[in-house]
Amino acid sequence: MLTIEVNNKEINAHQGETIFSALKRAGIRVPTLCHMEGLTPSGACRICSVEVDGFHNLIPSCSYPVSAGMKIKTHSPRAIAARKTIIELLLANHPDDCLYCERNDNCELSRLAVEYGIRERRFKGQRVHKDLDVSSPSLVRDPEKCILCGKCVRMCEEIQGVAAIDFIGRGSHSRIATAFDRGLNLSSCINCGQCIMVCPTGALREQSHIKRVIDALNDPDKFVIVQHAPSISVTIAEEFDADPGKDAVGAMTTALRRLGFDRVFDTSFSADLTIMEEASELVHRIQNGGVLPMMTSCSPGWVKYVEQFHPSLLANISSCKSPQMMLGALIKSFYAETQGIDPQKIYSVAIMPCTAKKFEADRPEMSRNGIPDIDAVLTTRELARLIKQYGVDLKNLEPDGADNPFGTRSSAGKLFGGSGGVMEAALRTAHYMITGKEMNDLKVSPLRGLDGIKETKISINGLDVGVAVVSGLGNAGKLMEQIKAGRNDLHFIEVMTCPGGCIAGGGQPIKTNPDRIKARLKTLYKLDSQETLRSSHQNPDIKRLYSEYLGKPLSHKSHELLHTHYTERDILL
Amino acid sequence: MSQDKATILVVDDDIDILEQTCTILQGAGYKTIAADGEAEAKEILNNQRPDLAILDLMMEHMDSGFILSHLIKKMDPSIPVIIISAVTSQTGLHFDISGQGERSWIKADAFMAKGNRPEQLLGEVERLLG
Repeated sequence: MLTIEVNNKEINAHQGETIFSALKRAGIRVPTLCHMEGLTPSGACRICSVEVDGFHNLIPSCSYPVSAGMKIKTHSPRAIAARKTIIELLLANHPDDCLYCERNDNCELSRLAVEYGIRERRFKGQRVHKDLDVSSPSLVRDPEKCILCGKCVRMCEEIQGVAAIDFIGRGSHSRIATAFDRGLNLSSCINCGQCIMVCPTGALREQSHIKRVIDALNDPDKFVIVQHAPSISVTIAEEFDADPGKDAVGAMTTALRRLGFDRVFDTSFSADLTIMEEASELVHRIQNGGVLPMMTSCSPGWVKYVEQFHPSLLANISSCKSPQMMLGALIKSFYAETQGIDPQKIYSVAIMPCTAKKFEADRPEMSRNGIPDIDAVLTTRELARLIKQYGVDLKNLEPDGADNPFGTRSSAGKLFGGSGGVMEAALRTAHYMITGKEMNDLKVSPLRGLDGIKETKISINGLDVGVAVVSGLGNAGKLMEQIKAGRNDLHFIEVMTCPGGCIAGGGQPIKTNPDRIKARLKTLYKLDSQETLRSSHQNPDIKRLYSEYLGKPLSHKSHELLHTHYTERDILL
Repeated sequence: MSQDKATILVVDDDIDILEQTCTILQGAGYKTIAADGEAEAKEILNNQRPDLAILDLMMEHMDSGFILSHLIKKMDPSIPVIIISAVTSQTGLHFDISGQGERSWIKADAFMAKGNRPEQLLGEVERLLG
């Protein structure tokens, strides 16, 4: 521990930490557009620069270590003037289309401009036209709005281990691009959308499906069905200024009906169905010498990642479709048949926390007879916009329940929304399938929380089942290398693409931060602890679906509708 | 229609893209007729009836693809038309055919952004040829 002086007041700092980190702990906020907690400092934006005694130039606090006796002025006239100039220079060639910009209510650059009182264009930079990249099924990049902070690059490379984008060009020609500048669709991008979550401006956004959903809702010939993923109900209310972690499932269901959806189904139901199939597959693999460790397949970014970077492990991935696609397949088969509706007239919409779900719905394997199982995917953010556009006041709606036959869920299905949830749900059902008894304690504490890698062993009938839970593909990549190197003590691995799981997905509210993620996870755990239906195999609607239609898990019908296959993906560029 | 018999008209004033598209389609067993712009496509359409057409949008005119799609649908409404364009990338203007309003004037069966992977293009072609 050492002492530094900040704004004429002594504060404590740790040896080796940055000035920025010491200031933050002392409650002194210095603005930044490029800093990312826990990642290599880049010092790209320089807005966090402070005055340090003995230094001629201002020092970027995010990338300079503290030293004993250092005297710092964080908000001196010189530091403030420099910050203001940097913001003005960033604005000099920034597009003036804030009114039309996706981020016009939460742009960090705009917020800083307001904070620093910038109300005139002092510098007029040359505007250079740069094409939008609209090639991806999930994301849109607008290079003209990019301020080169590099956060998306670091997220993609350091957290996700994908590195689909990087800086190209030099000096004033620097920009962020994919390999050979050929667009995200041809790149190794896994569509997770975590780049959107860290972008301070409107340079990255989701590929919006709002218009096509509105068109379907306005089409009298369409029977429009919507499903909502487990994590949506614990995040959507934040878009309407509710406290983080508020569960708004009832109000959201009412809102969806007000928007005009003919049926509202809960994807947590098909999460239960996924567990029935996935746990059966796991038990089958363990008892019949199948490929282990088995790995989950719910997260489409993860699946594409394996197809691209670890194709030798494709046999380890569960053949189960994700809950979104299982429900999508059932809606246009079982539901259409039992209700006497032509599947061609059904328009199936999924509300997902995830931009990669748009890509997943587009996969050719996810359609039958030329009819896609899911027609449109809206993120949490898009749903919030749609609700606002239709003038529905989410905060003052009477709660309502989802429609049958896909409306009842267990709390295990709801746990899918957070890292470790799929594993916990699967273990409950696998234990029951093997022993015929419920687990003594349904809560598996070592698999809870937000750590990137969690492991434990669960004893089932004398077999120590080794399980691992990973979130963030950088973490997954490390575990995959261990598996390839011969590690063989694991039977089942859950991977969620986004750090923390779907509650922190790339389609969640932009205001997502670690505290909000914790609050959302806490709500999922609370729901699980308070409810009585806590295991997927106890869900009465799941039992009915098997007895009336599917037969049993892994049956021929199940394979036809609920399972798929994945193949090595050629990364063109 | 079996795919080895289907003949596809490909129109694009970017010769590289024209050639790439034809190569991908031929690799999947389709016959192709290539035209490097609206004028050449019109001449071809005077004498031949393709089973499907893939059109660039902005060629000699900003709306060449729309004009050609109207012409093709007037000739035979059963010929599926795919428009593949960089118009959104370059202008920021979005076009799609999900609404009845758009479908009343954009006479195409699919609207795609340029920069597709081969399986995406072939998927649309297969879907439209049934």
